[in-house]
Amino acid sequence: MLVKINSAAILGLEGYLIEVEVDVQRGLPGQSIVGLPDASVKESRDRVRAAIENSGFEFPAGYFTINLAPADTKKEGPLYDLPIALGMLLVSEQFSAKNLDDQVILGELSLDGTVRGVNGILPICLSLKDKGKKKVLVPRANADEAALVEGIEVIPVSTLKEAVDYLAGVKFISAHRVDIKALFCLEPDEGLDFSEVKGQGHVKRALEVAAAGGHNVLLVGPPGSGKTMLARRLPTILPQLSLSEALEVTKLYSVTGLLNGKGALITKRPFRSPHHTTSDIGIIGGGRIPRPGEVSLAHLGVLFLDEFPEFDRNVLEVLRQPLEDGKVTISRAHATLTYPAQFMLVAAMNPCPCGNYLDPVKVCTCSSFKVQRYWGKLSGPLLDRIDLHIEVPRLKKEELIHYPEGETSQEIRERVTKARELQRQRFQGSGTFCNARMTPKQIKEFCHLEGEAEALLKAAVLNLRLSARAYDRILKVSRTIADLDGSEKIRAEHVAEAAQYRSLDRKGGEYDVSGSISTSF
Amino acid sequence: MGMESYQQGIKGEELAEKYLSQLGYEILEKNFRSQQGEIDLVAKEGGFLVFVEVKNYSYRSLGKPAAVIKKSKKESIIHAARYYLYKNRIKNVNCRFDVITIYRGIDGSRKIELYRNAFFVN
Repeated sequence: MLVKINSAAILGLEGYLIEVEVDVQRGLPGQSIVGLPDASVKESRDRVRAAIENSGFEFPAGYFTINLAPADTKKEGPLYDLPIALGMLLVSEQFSAKNLDDQVILGELSLDGTVRGVNGILPICLSLKDKGKKKVLVPRANADEAALVEGIEVIPVSTLKEAVDYLAGVKFISAHRVDIKALFCLEPDEGLDFSEVKGQGHVKRALEVAAAGGHNVLLVGPPGSGKTMLARRLPTILPQLSLSEALEVTKLYSVTGLLNGKGALITKRPFRSPHHTTSDIGIIGGGRIPRPGEVSLAHLGVLFLDEFPEFDRNVLEVLRQPLEDGKVTISRAHATLTYPAQFMLVAAMNPCPCGNYLDPVKVCTCSSFKVQRYWGKLSGPLLDRIDLHIEVPRLKKEELIHYPEGETSQEIRERVTKARELQRQRFQGSGTFCNARMTPKQIKEFCHLEGEAEALLKAAVLNLRLSARAYDRILKVSRTIADLDGSEKIRAEHVAEAAQYRSLDRKGGEYDVSGSISTSF
Repeated sequence: MGMESYQQGIKGEELAEKYLSQLGYEILEKNFRSQQGEIDLVAKEGGFLVFVEVKNYSYRSLGKPAAVIKKSKKESIIHAARYYLYKNRIKNVNCRFDVITIYRGIDGSRKIELYRNAFFVN
């Protein structure tokens, strides 16, 4: 006697079909699972047994061979519990099911027979749809997530018994539906707002520019000046996620199992702030079968690295490739996977280890060697990928006490969204989506300077001894500032503003700390 | 193991036999041995060939052994079971491993519990 049940597995962000074959032979009781199962799949043996007995069924006699086909790919995770249990009950003729071929069945079983949610349901369902599958049995906990995929019938089950009754035709379960538009339009409760930040007008403006052009940012300031507070509020001024973007982010969170409690669809831009002890694998992703790292979890959102120089050097260096390509490819023996990683990098650091370097009031206790070493941790190529360098000075007492409430995030976001819309039209069809990702050719085409603006930039290059790379950065940033202004041409004031965001390489690529910071403090 | 516990063991097995007969088990063999294993009772019940392990324990034992069987004991039973099937040329019959526990109280009273399908090969 042999029963086949369709199930699915996930590799990276791609789901693929798995056939769970259950065969029983008379003889000594027992079971074996074949088809390259990992530990969590093998353990399903014990869960399945308890679940079957506690659901009021009889654990069937005989020797069971359970094959997860195709047998050459590694299977991981507990999502085959439900198909295995159903297969064993079918094979021992404790119930009979019609139309088994039509449906795909997934779910983890708990010992009492309830079906628990599993990771990666959304990407699995998307792939199933591509493969022409029409119907999927999922844990009730994952029903909303699965139903995001249009054109697939989602049958939510909460217990093994319920699944059996449904397949036997005893109980009717109507297909689960969600109103994806309504879910998407739910105004996410940000809980944070730019108006809560006192003072720091120029930093807010710089962050607005960064958000408008998708530029990476480095915030330099003494402790307590509000770097973290400002960075946390950056997602609130970024444009709202589009539906397809929201699905992309949700896919990543579904695979990593971070979706629990966040609703079925993530509509908020992600904000990730890994601690500075995080390893390079944690940042970039990895593992035996590679899983997304922080750069991918921050996809379409903000990756905030507080205490930037405290991160291990290799951690910082691995950021370079995703910053450039917007994706990471991780190769391991078992699989080579590519995850998206289009994030805005916001790095924050103190001007020196003690934090008081060049502070007008407090005294810095660091030796110049210490300061040099602190800055030396940031490599040129890395700083090169950061368009805006912003100094965040300590607030004065009077500023803290009386300061008018600033603009709300909503007001800023409207301007940012407008600027992004201009960029979208400009780069249509080119694969670039914001000013920060312009290619050299595009810079030449779209950042043309004339008259006064050109003269100003030339003077700036000469007087501030700007490097060639700083030159390009200034062009990109001034394009963004012009977009915010709604101006087709880049004017002198746009260039002037952009030039002041390059404080760290005014010395022609040499990070002369005292020179760079003292100019603005 | 002293003589006393040996006799208690024999007594327990007799008791288990009686108990199983009452439940409709047809006892086929007692103390079946293979080179590396042994089974206390082999019986037939409802289409199943049942291998039964009898476990005695008393008020003197620490805790309750219940249906928990050591891995080595399990292997010994399975080895004997395989040999039994081979020797008697039995194929295509569903088998089962049951465990009977017999508790002897301080007053000599006994309590029998049967655990069907107590363990599996693997």
